Amino acid sequence: MHAPTWLRWAWVVPAAFLVAFLAIPLASLGRQVISPGTVGYLFDPLPWQVAGLASGQAIVSTLLALAIGLPMANVLTRYRFWGRRWALALATVPFVLPTVVVALAFRALLGGSLGSGFAIVVLAHAYLNLAVVVRIVGARWVTIDPRMDLTARSLGAGPWTAFRTVTWPALRPAIASAAAIVFVFSFTSLGVVLLIGDSSTRTLESLVLRQTSILLDFQGAAVSAAIQALVVGSVLVLAARQRAAQRGGSARPMRLIRPRGRSSLAVGVVATAAAVIVLAPVLALVWASLRSSSGWTLAWWSGLFGPNTIDAGSTRIGSPLSAMARSLTFAIATGAVAAVVGGLAAVSVLTGRIGRAFAIATALPLGISAATLGLGTLLAYGRPPLDLRATGLLVPIAHALIAVPLVVAVATPTLRATDPRLVTVAANLGARPTRAWWTGYGPALRTVMVAAGGLACAVSLGEFGAASFLARADGPTVPLVIARLLGRPGEASFGVAAALAVVLVIMTTTLVAAVDRGGRRR
Amino acid sequence: MKRIPAPFVLVLTASALLLAACSSESAPETETEASSAGSVTVQLLTHDSFALSEDVIADFEESSGINIELVSGGDAGSMVAGAILAAGAPTADVMFGVDNTLVTRALDEGVFEPYTSPEADSLRPDLADQTFDGLVTPIDFGDVCINIDDTWFEAEGIAPPTTLDDLVDPAYSGLLVVQDPGTSSPGLAFLLSTVARYGDEWPNYWQQLKGNNVAIAGSWSDAYYGDFTFGGGGDRPIVVSYATSPPAEIVYAEGEPPETVSTSSMDDGCYRQIEYAGILAGTDNVEAAQQVVDWLLSAPVQEDIPLNMFVFPARADTPLPEVFTEFAGQVEMPEQLPADYVAENVEGLLTEWGSVMGR
Amino acid sequence: MKDSTGLRVAELVIGYESPLHEPFTFNVAPGDVLAVVGPSGCGKSTLLGTIAGLTPALGGSIEIGGRNITALPINERRVAMVFQEALLFPHLNVRDNVAYGPRRAGISREEARAEADRLLTWVDLEGYGDRSIEQLSGGQAQRVSLARALAAKPDALCLDEPFSALDAPLRARLAQDVLSVIARARIPAIHVTHDPLEAQTMTRGAGGGSILSM
Repeated sequence: MHAPTWLRWAWVVPAAFLVAFLAIPLASLGRQVISPGTVGYLFDPLPWQVAGLASGQAIVSTLLALAIGLPMANVLTRYRFWGRRWALALATVPFVLPTVVVALAFRALLGGSLGSGFAIVVLAHAYLNLAVVVRIVGARWVTIDPRMDLTARSLGAGPWTAFRTVTWPALRPAIASAAAIVFVFSFTSLGVVLLIGDSSTRTLESLVLRQTSILLDFQGAAVSAAIQALVVGSVLVLAARQRAAQRGGSARPMRLIRPRGRSSLAVGVVATAAAVIVLAPVLALVWASLRSSSGWTLAWWSGLFGPNTIDAGSTRIGSPLSAMARSLTFAIATGAVAAVVGGLAAVSVLTGRIGRAFAIATALPLGISAATLGLGTLLAYGRPPLDLRATGLLVPIAHALIAVPLVVAVATPTLRATDPRLVTVAANLGARPTRAWWTGYGPALRTVMVAAGGLACAVSLGEFGAASFLARADGPTVPLVIARLLGRPGEASFGVAAALAVVLVIMTTTLVAAVDRGGRRR
Repeated sequence: MKRIPAPFVLVLTASALLLAACSSESAPETETEASSAGSVTVQLLTHDSFALSEDVIADFEESSGINIELVSGGDAGSMVAGAILAAGAPTADVMFGVDNTLVTRALDEGVFEPYTSPEADSLRPDLADQTFDGLVTPIDFGDVCINIDDTWFEAEGIAPPTTLDDLVDPAYSGLLVVQDPGTSSPGLAFLLSTVARYGDEWPNYWQQLKGNNVAIAGSWSDAYYGDFTFGGGGDRPIVVSYATSPPAEIVYAEGEPPETVSTSSMDDGCYRQIEYAGILAGTDNVEAAQQVVDWLLSAPVQEDIPLNMFVFPARADTPLPEVFTEFAGQVEMPEQLPADYVAENVEGLLTEWGSVMGR
Repeated sequence: MKDSTGLRVAELVIGYESPLHEPFTFNVAPGDVLAVVGPSGCGKSTLLGTIAGLTPALGGSIEIGGRNITALPINERRVAMVFQEALLFPHLNVRDNVAYGPRRAGISREEARAEADRLLTWVDLEGYGDRSIEQLSGGQAQRVSLARALAAKPDALCLDEPFSALDAPLRARLAQDVLSVIARARIPAIHVTHDPLEAQTMTRGAGGGSILSM
């Protein structure tokens, strides 16, 4: 392939990003905490037991997410039907909801029959991660020619066999990517397990939090964090191996299939079921935002927008409107940073082994506990001589660290599927290296980066852990405001929190739908 | 092929900025006023339950010329962890919100610089000696107490429990929800209360609670809004919460505040949590920091604290709001354990609790 | 042994929600080619798709070798399709692509691969079995596609503009390959094209042939 020179250096930007915002904070923290004696903590059985427990839970969560998400990915990304774009945007909503909100909504819906514990936790995890499966697998599935399936069937394969022998091999790398990410998110889950879990759903992340902020056992926390990073790293490497087997398929999305006859019924059923699954907790929130002890009310909504904003005049909650503006600004900043860094990382995968190793490295932040990252960032960039808190950049950067691996996961399969001969053709026609490269990969990149950008924005809107460390006290994001409201009694607190959660859902759906529209070919 | 329309992105960004501009008019920028006077800035590190009225802060900034910048550390434990790790080269000038379960550890790590505020003479007598050799200043205290849904008990025609011992009475089986002490601050406080009350027999007490079908929630929110009959439509009318939760019913009600409250706080078995402020060792702004500590203990702030943070002021003779005097639990004899005992034993207590309760 | 009655279509109505064309009635004897010509968008691909089972018929009947296949699902019709693009399965090599049909019919892997090699010889690609599909030229890919379709031992063959992506000399060669293969297999074939000359070549070269203009 005629690669332009700068391509060889594409990995520098993601590398610098990781060094500045991952390695240095971790080093600042490690310097304070780690000593030769820390090694002894590796022999404590507790973190290893918790690792085993969390792995089991994460596997079940992943299987459930795939079971629900794959049919959704199929129907929402490949078929043409009325309301498809909004349905796709809606599928991203669970991902953005703060875990606090999801946990409580699930308690409200299912708590009676399931209570706390394993079952409700894996359901909540599957719900939260549907967007990952739909977007990552969907982005790949939509580039597979539907006539492949028809060809297989005309050669004698039944529908299930055709899927198994022709579609599945083409999808497997994308499914491996998505599964790895869902596993990692479920394995490192904090909010859900703290709120509605029990002893069977403990994660290393919750152990680190307990060791850091209740026991003040920093060395134990460092060991737990290290074990978590180890497990996450191994899973990501395994998934990358699977991904390397990517073959064939065009990089352009296929024309949408118009469902007919029996497939029309199937599409309708899946789309409706998807809408119900995604919307049920949201509707529970809408309901909660309109109810009070005296029946139906709009008081909570006017507590957000009206003249009597909740807690006006006090520093406690902060103005909900400015929190919304702030969340939106952070989301756009995160999307931009993640798109650039993630895009360059995805592109550097094409250049060879260093690039590939790098793309895996960008996923490391997913395994680093939020507490560790937050504390490390504060130590490195939260005090003189280098105090970056006033710039307002710390939150988008922390969010970008988490969003970049998602961008890479969405972009890489499509980039790999692009025929490199297109670049050669363009070069032969007289295009200079950069132009030729852009002609070959540009169309694929444009479509896929927009989908990836949408996911990055969604991540930022709903993120809670890093923001709670790095947002200034009077500059909270919407999830922080929701958490503060839910941390105190009074029906206004709960009602306004529910209303704010609904606003978050609307913001996300609109933002993601708009971003998707901008990137789609039709 | 359509790109993201650049005008669209511009419109989005513009609306975001517009929203920010509009809303910032309703929330006065406390910094820009004072910073234009070329003044000193004190960074006040707090947890996410901190709150004061904006005009109380503005008044101080005007009269003192000190610009207060609020810095967030997450929840109380994370805040203290951060302060310990940064000891000597702190991320702020003053820290407020370290409580009596964590303070000894912070002191041992040299987080604070000694300062005895002149306002400390006005402290309540029972808090006067809580300065740990002048390293910290008590600012407020709260009591973690059992809360009871009186409406539920009235409807069932049962008398509500009044003591810790009542909670293991089979008459109240399946009615109590507590929080996991390993993940919840009030949960931990309740555990410590039982340790203070029952001494070495505390595991037996919890065995009995378990036999009495106690429910364990992961967090205060989950318990109060998920399981408590009053707050969340759950099925448990007895919950671990705060002595000041009942007044919140009135303060955070919709429309016309109700005349009376439906929940009450049980006075027996409450655990007192005291919050301290201190100057972080290594700060450049010592004098201004001292003024801020004085201010936190001053009358205007102490009067402002109850309705903002739902805790009690540490300053003696501070007038309390009516909802507090009428409806909050007034606990004369709370349970307390020495701070260094707690710091030393918390891990062991949590492990043993875990094995007793099977978690 | 194939039934010699071939493909019989009676009053077949094609379309999606409503009919696209007058009902069709025609027969194609084994070894014969029916060339369907017409401009783009007139429905010729739909006709092919209806016979192959990609779209349900709105009315009428389709029989092959005496067997009524009108209501059968795609995989039971035994009608093989060759498209404009070869659509080879990227995760399989050339031999396993061709062996796909026999495998679905329950034949063992060794036998299926042997059969695949045999058919590759039919289309002049002997020895190509181990290659990956990325190594094939356009014409070679189409021939593999043809071999794959035949390996499934279909009762009829449908070709949807199979040569349009190829250049003229290649088209002529491939046309000859297709004709000889149809003759050898003794099955009816429908060949859709927008090029009237190609239609003539296909029908003249076959044992018997007719042209259907749409």
